[in-house]
Amino acid sequence: MHGRPRTAPKPEDAAASAAKAQKLRALQSQFLSYHHSRIYTEEALDASAKLLEINPEYYTAWNYRKLAVEHRVGESGSSPEYVKSIFDEELKVVENALRQNFKSYGAWYHRTWVLSKGHSSLDHELRLLDRFQKADPRNFHAWNYRRFVAALLGRSVEDELQYTEDLIGNNFSNYSAWHNRSMLLSEILKKKEQESSSQDVISKEYEFVLNALYTDPDDQSGWFYHLWLLDQTFKVKAPLLVSSWPVPGFDLVVSGNVSFADHPLSSFSEFTVALERFPVVLYFNQNVEGVNSSTVTIQSTFVQNEDVTWKPLSLQNSPASKVWVGYLDLSGVDHHSSAPYTVEIKLGHHQGIMSSNGLQLSIPFDLSFTVSVKPLETQSSKDEKVAWEEDKFCACETHLQVAIPCLCYDGITVDNKYEPTTSDWQIGTIAEEISQIRNLLAISDSKIGKITLARLLMAHDAMSSPYATKTVHAEEVLGLYSELMKLDPSHYQYYKDERSLVLLQQLLSSRETLLRYCFCYRGITSPSAYGPICLRLNNQSISRMGSFDKLLWVQLLDLSDNELHSIEGMEALQLLRCLNLGRNKLRSFTSLDPLRYLRSLKVLNISHNEIGLHSIDTTRYSCSASPLSHNGEIIWSDDVFPPEDADVTNYWEAFMVFKSLELTQLDIVGNAVTNEKFKSFLLKILPKLQFLDGQNLHQI
Amino acid sequence: MPIGIAASFRFAGPRKEKKKKKLGGARMEPPPPPPPPPLGTTVTQRDQWTVEQEVGRIYSFFAQLPPAAQSFALEVQRDNHIEYLTRGLRGLAPSFGSLDASRPWICYWIIHSLALLGEPIDAELEESIIDFLSRCQDPSGGYGGGPGQLPHLATTYAAVNSLITLGGSRSLSSINRDKVHNFLRQMKQPSGGFRMHDGGEIDVRACYTAISVASTLNILDDELAEKVGDFILSCQTYEGGIAGEPGSEAHGGYTFCGLATMILINEVDRLDLSRLIDWVVFRQGVECGFQGRVNKLVDGCYSFWQGGACALLQKLHPFGLSEGGEDESTDSIDSSLYAASNVSEQEEQENNLESASPQVDGTCQFKQGGPQSASCSENTGNASYNFHERCAEGGSLFNSSALQQYILLCSQLPEGGFRDKPGKFRDFYHTCYCLSGLTVCQYSRSKHADSPPLPWDVVGPYSNLLEPIHPLHNVVLSKYQEANEFFAG
Repeated sequence: MHGRPRTAPKPEDAAASAAKAQKLRALQSQFLSYHHSRIYTEEALDASAKLLEINPEYYTAWNYRKLAVEHRVGESGSSPEYVKSIFDEELKVVENALRQNFKSYGAWYHRTWVLSKGHSSLDHELRLLDRFQKADPRNFHAWNYRRFVAALLGRSVEDELQYTEDLIGNNFSNYSAWHNRSMLLSEILKKKEQESSSQDVISKEYEFVLNALYTDPDDQSGWFYHLWLLDQTFKVKAPLLVSSWPVPGFDLVVSGNVSFADHPLSSFSEFTVALERFPVVLYFNQNVEGVNSSTVTIQSTFVQNEDVTWKPLSLQNSPASKVWVGYLDLSGVDHHSSAPYTVEIKLGHHQGIMSSNGLQLSIPFDLSFTVSVKPLETQSSKDEKVAWEEDKFCACETHLQVAIPCLCYDGITVDNKYEPTTSDWQIGTIAEEISQIRNLLAISDSKIGKITLARLLMAHDAMSSPYATKTVHAEEVLGLYSELMKLDPSHYQYYKDERSLVLLQQLLSSRETLLRYCFCYRGITSPSAYGPICLRLNNQSISRMGSFDKLLWVQLLDLSDNELHSIEGMEALQLLRCLNLGRNKLRSFTSLDPLRYLRSLKVLNISHNEIGLHSIDTTRYSCSASPLSHNGEIIWSDDVFPPEDADVTNYWEAFMVFKSLELTQLDIVGNAVTNEKFKSFLLKILPKLQFLDGQNLHQI
Repeated sequence: MPIGIAASFRFAGPRKEKKKKKLGGARMEPPPPPPPPPLGTTVTQRDQWTVEQEVGRIYSFFAQLPPAAQSFALEVQRDNHIEYLTRGLRGLAPSFGSLDASRPWICYWIIHSLALLGEPIDAELEESIIDFLSRCQDPSGGYGGGPGQLPHLATTYAAVNSLITLGGSRSLSSINRDKVHNFLRQMKQPSGGFRMHDGGEIDVRACYTAISVASTLNILDDELAEKVGDFILSCQTYEGGIAGEPGSEAHGGYTFCGLATMILINEVDRLDLSRLIDWVVFRQGVECGFQGRVNKLVDGCYSFWQGGACALLQKLHPFGLSEGGEDESTDSIDSSLYAASNVSEQEEQENNLESASPQVDGTCQFKQGGPQSASCSENTGNASYNFHERCAEGGSLFNSSALQQYILLCSQLPEGGFRDKPGKFRDFYHTCYCLSGLTVCQYSRSKHADSPPLPWDVVGPYSNLLEPIHPLHNVVLSKYQEANEFFAG
């Protein structure tokens, strides 16, 4: 009913409307009695027709008429003329009803029913549609019906296409016409796919829509059609492995069979990890399912393929994920032998790893690396604290840079002979669109134009470099988002988040740029002259994290002094030990959820965020449904139960994040949640904690 | 409008009332405009231009009001809304009943609006509504648009939500759950979707109303949920939003229905959420309200359909945060609005905070999951119950303050009721969905659905604060919780 023109009733109408109501009530009870006694006489049919003319939404009457039609057709001895007259009557009733309310679901649906019985003609229906579509060119009932009629009565796609062209010529803001055009062209493209002439069709459409865009760059309709065209140009791609840890050819040194708590950071030298079992992380370009021991095979002397369980790293309780992890147990390794073990991982040789739309992993992938075990030599002090001060970091020296595994990363392409599947035509098309929209923006400030350009530029970069190792257009895109933040402040945060992702992609794209953010950490005693490598992305005004595929190797990460409100995706960083999130905009422990999956995390700084700032009724919250849905269950260790005396009720969210972590150092000062009560709670649930807010707990 | 099916509203009661003169309170309508020549190339653009002018005129008129008048203009005119709604509800009484095919809808729109305003319904009227709805219940299950009419999914949703909102054992036990379950199964299609009624159309609306009802009545099982996700997925368009049926264009009402359904059956990750977000956030325009489809005019009812979808998405993913009022609300047509709202909220805040703050039970125990425990798999069991417990991690995907501004200044009629946009008439449908949109805004940054929002999250005096809703079913949260316990067994 809404959207229909209505006029205010005049006072004198009140009496009339009461009388009308009275009449309608009588009509209705009469109708219901006919319906319930299955009476299908002329008189009874008349009553239902009258009722529907007044109220087309009276769906019971539509059903009654269907029954009546079937009854009368069955009785008629099937004289074709008589049957035709019965159905003609139905068409008339529908038309009357639509005149009363052309947004009536029941009336339109009744008409499809009559037509599916083989009555009426194309001409007749098109005339009817023209009338209603003139009155309201956006009426989706009419458009749905139009598509139904065209398909049923065999109206040619070309004729319908011409119709949309006429409507667009009349009013290029009529998005429903554009939308229907996309539906029609989808059919044409499906046919042409075999003839490979679809490219011409698409190119022509780009020209067509460009006309509309030039006429008014601020009108939304053309831009949405443009979006559809881009989708046609770049059809959904099969999943692809974009990154992994370890990277192929890597020589991994594991300082054997020790737990991190006994030997804090001193065990970092070159690229060494101290773990009893180490993670193999597979990072795909989209969510995939079906990663398991039959689709991924591992060959090595110390671990059986069947013993490795692959798990999706996803906060949602979903069987699909971009990131999958499997842990290789090192207990079978001889710690006294220094000979490296070779591990070979093969995936994609058998079907099974596939995206949500059913596409299989496009390219098989072989990954081989070595693992050697090195006994630990240094005995560092237990009380060593990680401090994030500026003077603790120094530039990475050249010989160390080699050890940063990400830098061998381009190798993934070479080793596996990855051929970009993007055709010249696609690259050409996108380049052409980029230049067209740049021209357009030279004469207009269209917001949606700027967004489209930003996305086109990123798409262009992604196509020319599927592993995001070249970001030719990043500067321009950053500029566009900065402009949009000013032009359209109501979507400020949206643009800011998009901008952050582009910025990260730029910072992490190549060896040269990345090295600028790699530092040696010298804050702890270390056997070598240099300390472990820390990636410092602090102070970049990043509001959202991304590009995790480039960070799988990272063990120390400094993200302080940003504007992060979320660390979604960080669950991929399975090696992460020290994380600085100080002075960001995190608002709750729930936003730290990804940390639950980081079993190596020992040192965490979340000081000076906004945790607890928001008014929360924690008591009530934890009463009603605290152990909530256990959403995203990857519980690494056995389910942890809270110590009996811990005040879990009041700090349920904190408990959920910290329960599976074995933190040795935590900075949490400067959050609204922090008080003595909370600190004592933390001490209970984090028994391995040595430092809390810089204070050595062992010296109290 | 995706769900409502009322066509003949004019019988629901006289639409025009005498204007009440308030002491000292000038009506907040600006003086009539000089008719300017519309700009724009196409009809659509000219219409859009006219609406922008009209809305802009209201905002600039507002901007030059003295602070006290601004504060008054932003106030939810509770008494007048309650009067308008109550009068409508009385008009629904049995003697007047069953005039059209959407009586349960009108019941729901009014009862829910009153519940949002925290206004109880008198016992006698409540009795007669329960009786009336019982007469709409089909002997074989489900509710029709009136007594004797075929059961219909949309009216079943409206009736069930109405009865839940009334609450109490008489109301809740009047619902024959087994029969409703039966009806839902009959409407279920092999393709996964649902039919609105026997021989009726199959669309996203039908899926939502069926799954929502099944979830609130704790009768959602694998059979009902099977392949619903496939159907919804086939309705997500390249635009990002969700259409009513495959091949149609994306639409605000269906987008809410589709998204809420996917959350209820725990399959929301199958949707292309990033594209959905792209689509929905840009449906909020310069008028500060939402449009329902690309290049359509703003309409107050999408405050709920689109605003509510944003609020759901915010709960799913930590996204675009901005805290406090200052930095992000600058886009409003006149920022003095916020100054005005801040002045008034301080005065009002004290005496109204407690009305909204939930009752705290001193004794707590751990329970696994909510009290709901239907005979269905893990997959769908507690999705609904737990969802409202999830907090909105980030800030807003939409500009909540701006939307409240549109609802209060452009949709609200000071004499009671809400409308689509300036120049249109009020009706119960728009009153219901404008108020629902308003409560979604007010609590959209709240960590938990039932914790009181901060003063700056509520535009206008803090007394504007409405009751929180369960965002998937659009019933008042405390009523949902009561029903949830009632149907847990």
